[in-house]
Order: sequence, then C-alpha cells, then structure tokens
Amino acid sequence: MAQSNSLKASVPSYLKDAQLIKQGAEARVYRGTFLGRSVIIKERFPKLYRHPEVDEKLTRRRTTQEVRSILRCRRAGINAPVVYFVDYTTHCIFLEDIIHSVSVRDHIASEENPQRLQALADKIGEVLAQMHDEDVIHGDLTTSNMLLITGADQQHIHLVLIDFGLSYISALAEDKGVDLYVLEKAFLSTHPKTETLFERLLKSYTASSKKSSAVIKKLDEVRLRGRKRSMVG
Amino acid sequence: MQLTHDLELFPVYTVTQLLFRDVKNATELRKMAVNGEIKGALINPSMVVDAFQILVAANKAVHLHKIGKMKTRSLYSEIIFNLSPTNNISEAFKRFGISDSDSAVHIVLVHNKEETLNIDDIISKVDGQQIAVDQVSDLTDAAKIKKLYKVAPQEEKCGSLLDAVVCRMATKDVA
Repeated sequence: MAQSNSLKASVPSYLKDAQLIKQGAEARVYRGTFLGRSVIIKERFPKLYRHPEVDEKLTRRRTTQEVRSILRCRRAGINAPVVYFVDYTTHCIFLEDIIHSVSVRDHIASEENPQRLQALADKIGEVLAQMHDEDVIHGDLTTSNMLLITGADQQHIHLVLIDFGLSYISALAEDKGVDLYVLEKAFLSTHPKTETLFERLLKSYTASSKKSSAVIKKLDEVRLRGRKRSMVG
Repeated sequence: MQLTHDLELFPVYTVTQLLFRDVKNATELRKMAVNGEIKGALINPSMVVDAFQILVAANKAVHLHKIGKMKTRSLYSEIIFNLSPTNNISEAFKRFGISDSDSAVHIVLVHNKEETLNIDDIISKVDGQQIAVDQVSDLTDAAKIKKLYKVAPQEEKCGSLLDAVVCRMATKDVA
C-alpha cells in the first residue's frame, strides 16, 4: 500500500461522489452510502471568515453537542437519527437517512384535514415535552427540523427530530421557554393563520410535561420581550 | 458463508467476517490471535447483534489508524475496543474478545482489496463449524447486551437494539 495514498484524507474524496442535498451557512448536507446503508452526512466546513483557532474550537463544540444531544434524546425514547460515525478531523457526522418521510413543514402546507393537523399538533407538543423533560434544548425548533414518517400506519404519528446543531443541555425553564418561543415564531411565520393549531400544541405540551407550568410562564415573559415590544414592566 | 464488505470511506480496504460455532479450541485460537498467527479480531458472538455493528467498529478503527489516533496498539484490538460502550480497554477485551471457555467465535479481518485472502487457512485453524455470518443473531445474548450498554426499554420505542448499540459506539468519545 503506498503510504502517500493512505495519508490522503478519505472523507473529502468520499464526499466528492456523494449527493449534495443542501448547503447552509453552517454545514453542507449530503446523501451517500455507508457500510451498505443510505446515510446523511453533515459536513461542518471551515469558515474562512473566522479566526482559524476559534473556528476549530467552535466547530468541534457544535459537532460534539449535536452528537451528545441526539444520544440523549434516543436514550429517552425520542426519535432522532442514529449516529453511525463521527469524523472529528473534518467535522462530519454520518447519520441514519430517514427514508419515507416528509418534513412537518411540507406536511402542514399540504394537509387539508384539520383533525389530522390537530393530532399532529398534539404529537409535537408531546415529543417536545419529553425532550424538555430530558433537559435537552433543541435550539432550532422549526417545522423543517421535524420529520413525519409516512407509511401505511395512519393511526400512530411517528415524529423524528433532526438538526441538533444548536442544541445543548439545560434544566432552566427560561431556556425551554425560549426554545418554544423560537418554534412559535417559526411556526406562525411559515404557516399562516395557524394560531389555534399552535395553541393546541402548547396545550399538549403542558399536559405531557411534568415541569410545564414554569416553562409556559417563561414563554409568556419572553413573548413580552423581543423586537418591537414595549419593555414597560 | 463469510461476509465481505468494502469500506466506502477507505476504498483500499475490505472487511471479511467469519462465524463459527461448536468451537473446541478457543484457547489455541486466542493464542494465535495474540502471537499474530491469525491476523484478525476474535470476537465473542454473544455480544454481536448484527454484522453491521462489526462494520461500524471496523470503519472507526481504520479511520483512527489512518490518522494515528487509535487508543489501543493494533487495528484488531481497536476493533474490539470500539465495540465496547466504555473507555476501559481491558474491560473491552474481557467482554468482547473471546475467552478460553467460549464455544463460538466471530472473526473479523481487515485487508487490502487486491490481496487475495487465504480464508481456508484461517478456517482450517478453527476446530468448529463455520456458519453464515447473518446467523449471528441466533447467538446474540440480547439481555447481556442491554445490560452492558444500559439500554432502557424506553429507548427501544425509537429504534432497534442494533440502533442503540451503534449509536453508543459512534458517540462513545464524547458522551
């Protein structure tokens, strides 16, 4: 085996043949085959506008937090993609590809049956309550970061949470309240006229979580802050 | 019978797995692995849920070997170490490597794709019956695995035992 060949970085050359599905500000997402399975590869590429040392530390931290949060969620029974491999030299995470799924965002946009939407809101509230009870803050809750498994089984709704890049562990009601606020803002701006649906989500959250009252209280407080809001106490 | 799979990230390498039951010379085999007569990882099949689990361990081992960051001294001991949920190397060998009293063995070989591997040579060294690798699930001790990896019943709501095991293997360094 030629030594020079084996020293050549393998993940980047592998990514050249993989299918790029999304390019964001933080990472590129690919689909590929890994050990015979279909996988999603999340590559946190180097940010040249940052100081290199800062970039390396920050990127590594984001990668490890993402991976930790996914494991923590799964241990509690919350659906998140299985981590197959992490390359800490290129900051690539190889994750299970959730096939036969649609983002909740796309689903809400196309779903006409109001009862099914309500059942979905109930489920989301339930899953988020479970996650917060595990003290996992997602950090980027939007309907694009939730996948709905499509299948013949219409009785049970299977939700998978993805993109734990901004997640962290915290027991503070304030952090959980902010997490919900982020979702509220994203939800209402992406899906017009869904205020009642979101209220239903919050009701389900309140019913499913053991520590919800403090969190909802904080959510109300956070709503009063924010942009274009009067800070009159 | 045996299972061969290329490592997509390391196209030069291939992983071959062999499974044997009714093994009578586990002690000898262990010695051969230690002194290099058998160039492979000898694993206790009761701790293996699926061949995929072995591939994940082998992939990580080859990766760390390439960047010079293995925790153990050889590629094969690294594969065994990667299977373990803890960072204690001797514990990993004890639980995942074969012991003298074992009657089944799962052999993992990592080799150059071009190299013609003398599988028959290895098979002849094992005093036991070779079975298809996908039958390893018959030898799996799920209860022991759940206990060692600390898999709670609630986790099984979102995936299989294999998912739980592989996820822990992949995140062991930071969890």
